Amino acid sequence: MSTATATTTYTYTHTATYLSDVIMGTIADVLALLGITPDGATRWDQDQSAIAAWIEERSLEMVVLECRRPDGKVRPIFEFPVTYKATGEGEFENSRAAMARAHAKITSVPSGTTYRLFCTYRSGHTPQPGWGPGTRASTDGLRSTSFGTLAEAPHASASARYLR
Amino acid sequence: MQRRREIASAPKRSAGEVWQTIRVLLGDTLDRSSSVKRADVDAALDPLGGVARMLISAGHLEGHPLVLVAGELWLEITTVSGGSALSLQENLNPVPGGAGASDWTLHVPQVEPMAKLVRTTVNGHDHLSADEPTAPVQEAAKASGGVDLDAVARWAREAA
Repeated sequence: MSTATATTTYTYTHTATYLSDVIMGTIADVLALLGITPDGATRWDQDQSAIAAWIEERSLEMVVLECRRPDGKVRPIFEFPVTYKATGEGEFENSRAAMARAHAKITSVPSGTTYRLFCTYRSGHTPQPGWGPGTRASTDGLRSTSFGTLAEAPHASASARYLR
Repeated sequence: MQRRREIASAPKRSAGEVWQTIRVLLGDTLDRSSSVKRADVDAALDPLGGVARMLISAGHLEGHPLVLVAGELWLEITTVSGGSALSLQENLNPVPGGAGASDWTLHVPQVEPMAKLVRTTVNGHDHLSADEPTAPVQEAAKASGGVDLDAVARWAREAA
């Protein structure tokens, strides 16, 4: 009796595309939930491409979404840390359903609130179009809530934290 | 004529690439109609670029299809992500059934928390809608001059 098996090789590019997609999709849901007007398609592609490139080269530490209120206060803040694995094992999984349930914990923001994305790095990183140096707002005094793992991929995973 | 197409999203494609694939599929399909111009289709889909990427990335199109209604054609487009996206056998050929269409509408699902954003985006655009499309069986009944569906149901019960 003969047997056959199929194997799939997952690349760093697959992991980077998947995690950047889930992170951006979560940001999209949060912006929609808060009623914050998102940037257009061109900026979206630029951001997703940059995040994917930095995950692929393993330089990205976390993606940060800051909500800036009309009075200048910056809250809430969402952090999406990326953790890298030594091996390329595992499948593509996400916890979008759990994240959707967590939406109930997210407090509303006043009309006119805008947003900014930041990335922090664990090592040197390749410059990407549309991205330059910036300074994050202070998180002093903000209470942090972990939303747990957002997505798993063979070479890395992403989680989510909510600071308010 | 009810059709379905599944498009592979991440990790095979980024959201922007998925939307471009869907645009080409819609354009190729509607291009079969002599009454619909490709350039008009492209222009009509332009306003959706941002919100489409958001819906795709957030995984909303996996359970809630975009629906193209064009004459007798009812085309549902969903996305597939994860490992399944890499093994998905896609059919990206133009979808049959749109050749006789004189008009068309793309229905975008109102999925929370993006429902308001979807409504705002499609508002005022002739070929875009956030409304639920009319069920195809009803469209078919209208097109055929009005089949009495209740009578068909009665006949089916009696025949059983």
